[in-house]
Amino acid sequence: MLSKEFRLVFRDKHALAALFIMPAIFILIMSLALKDTFNSERALLKYAVVDLDQSVQSAKLRTFLVAQRVLQEQPAVIADDAGYKRVFPGELQFVLTIPKGFAQSYAQDEPVGSLLLLSAAADVRPEMLTLFETEVVTGVMRLRFAKMKTELAPFLPEVAQKLEVLDFNGEGIVKVRFNTRQPDEKPTSTQQSVPSWIVFGMFFIIIPMSTIFVNERRQHTLMRMSAMNISVPALFAGKIAPYIVINQIQVWLMIAVGIFVVPLCGADALTLGDSLVGLLMVSLGLSLAAVGTSILIAVTAVTVEQATTVGGIINILMGAIGGIMVPKFYMPHSMQEFANLSPMSWGLEGFLDIFLRGLGPEAVLADSLKLAGFGVALLLIAGMVFNYKQNRGL
Amino acid sequence: MIVIKNLVKRYDDLLALDHLDLRVGTGVIFGLLGPNGAGKTTLVSILNGLTGFQAGEIEVFGLSLSKELAEIRRRTAFIPQTLALYENLSVIENLRFFAGIQKITGRTLRHNLDYAISVNRLQALLKQKAGILSGGQKRRLNIAIGLLNNPELLYFDEPTVGIDPDGRNEILETIRAFKNDAKTVIYTSHYMPEIEKICDEVAIIDQGRIIRQGLLETLLQEERADSVVIELLHANEAQLRELTQKYADVKFVDATTLMIDRHNSSKMGALLTVLEAEKIAIKQIRYGTTNLETLFIRLTSSGVSDV
Repeated sequence: MLSKEFRLVFRDKHALAALFIMPAIFILIMSLALKDTFNSERALLKYAVVDLDQSVQSAKLRTFLVAQRVLQEQPAVIADDAGYKRVFPGELQFVLTIPKGFAQSYAQDEPVGSLLLLSAAADVRPEMLTLFETEVVTGVMRLRFAKMKTELAPFLPEVAQKLEVLDFNGEGIVKVRFNTRQPDEKPTSTQQSVPSWIVFGMFFIIIPMSTIFVNERRQHTLMRMSAMNISVPALFAGKIAPYIVINQIQVWLMIAVGIFVVPLCGADALTLGDSLVGLLMVSLGLSLAAVGTSILIAVTAVTVEQATTVGGIINILMGAIGGIMVPKFYMPHSMQEFANLSPMSWGLEGFLDIFLRGLGPEAVLADSLKLAGFGVALLLIAGMVFNYKQNRGL
Repeated sequence: MIVIKNLVKRYDDLLALDHLDLRVGTGVIFGLLGPNGAGKTTLVSILNGLTGFQAGEIEVFGLSLSKELAEIRRRTAFIPQTLALYENLSVIENLRFFAGIQKITGRTLRHNLDYAISVNRLQALLKQKAGILSGGQKRRLNIAIGLLNNPELLYFDEPTVGIDPDGRNEILETIRAFKNDAKTVIYTSHYMPEIEKICDEVAIIDQGRIIRQGLLETLLQEERADSVVIELLHANEAQLRELTQKYADVKFVDATTLMIDRHNSSKMGALLTVLEAEKIAIKQIRYGTTNLETLFIRLTSSGVSDV
């Protein structure tokens, strides 16, 4: 039974592509595509400045903005403030216009209207706008603070001297520590994306498994096996065992891609967690869930087309809901709650606990049990459906 | 070999087998005929333990099917109409797989493999993938898989569907030869000439009951005496079918042949009058018939040759 199932899968080029090549390509593409998203040193915002004031103060503001690591000034392509409504060229997200008279008005106690004009690209993300606004406001506040120091110096020299050493030095105020294996280890795109695509790839056994099963039923091979004294549990066991092995091969192959191939393409290498037991618990739980889903689809589908279509849709839906395609932290709270219903989410959280957070078996026990329970429940339902259909000659 | 008493099988409100009785002796090739939905497949499924039943008793080899199914299965084989094999596996891989799941090993495996391969002339094809075999070769492999346990009783469900006449004859010869090995064969087919060619005994099943059973030759002889055949020169098939619907005792055989029960020949006059009125010329009127198909058509309620 086992060797037959292995032979059928390994001789099916499409199944091999879906099980091994597709997730490997996903891992490569997504690790590279998201490489900068998880890099806090990267310039996130590209902007241009239209300096109509051309003053010392406007130059200082520009210097401050240039010094911020998340900002990257682009050459000004717009000559005057008429560019406010122009289409932004290239990757430009913001155009900051410093109007004439900024040097006089920036420190007024009650400024009339807005000091600066900020144009944002239509597709700019709200959090990016907030970030840029904050940087600009901080820049203006520094100018005001410097002016205040200068004005205070003749009257209160001691206070001015103290203020001299006080600066907006963010580096010294906040120390960031990531909740990863090592406190100072930053999460990389590889650490984030490899677990997602391993989970997604593991559930792709739905396609070959259900296809083979439906073909066996359609051609009466299953009926023939039943007539040869094969019981339903034995029949299912002959399916489950090989696909669990195939799933484990997938996991280790994808891990190898993360460790050895991804760095060759310029992204960070995957680093394994410290818990092999935890990793096995999650991957075996995922295998049971994937196999249970596959067999239930296989026994309920009438045709191969149904099995592949329904299997594909369920896989993509579970992936979309479970935070595979869109990370859960991008989702609103209610959606995150919903995401927790997807077995893919349980598996993903388990893998992230191992790969990213450096946790052990006790941390992944609940998710692993949920996955295994889900798989066993679906297998039991599949057994009942199979028996019912067989008894009805369906 | 097989004794069935009062067998009842229902699918919800549908009575698939209606207190069916049947006996099949040892070493015969037994044809099971019936229109679509008559209950043939259900009966074969029950005999293989693939479907349950509500009432009745079944004994195979003198063993109760309900109590000793596993032992009965060890001594029988079911060869389905579809090619129940793996196209991505080679011939020998298919044979070894199906032998493996029946736990056939060692000397028995070697002996039974040799038997299955030689009977079906698969020696030269062992390493070929099943998917690239011809239709006839696949059918032979399908049969070979059924021989792996060297069964005493074989169930064949339309084993010649979709293959050319040469391939069909080869398979029929193979099945006929099982008689020499003292094997019993239950054979269902849509092709009456096949049944006539290889079967010793037949049973006709209709609406879940056996309506006629016996030695093939005896049934045909009885039939010759029981029916009147009207052969026509030229006729419109639709027109003839319409006629047979009007006259319940008249059976449509083909586009130029009608049949009427000899005991209802009092209606012959009325039928001849209608044929004359419709300007349908009669070629000849004769007693009896010589083939199974007409017997089948006369006996079954469908009145069509698609069985």
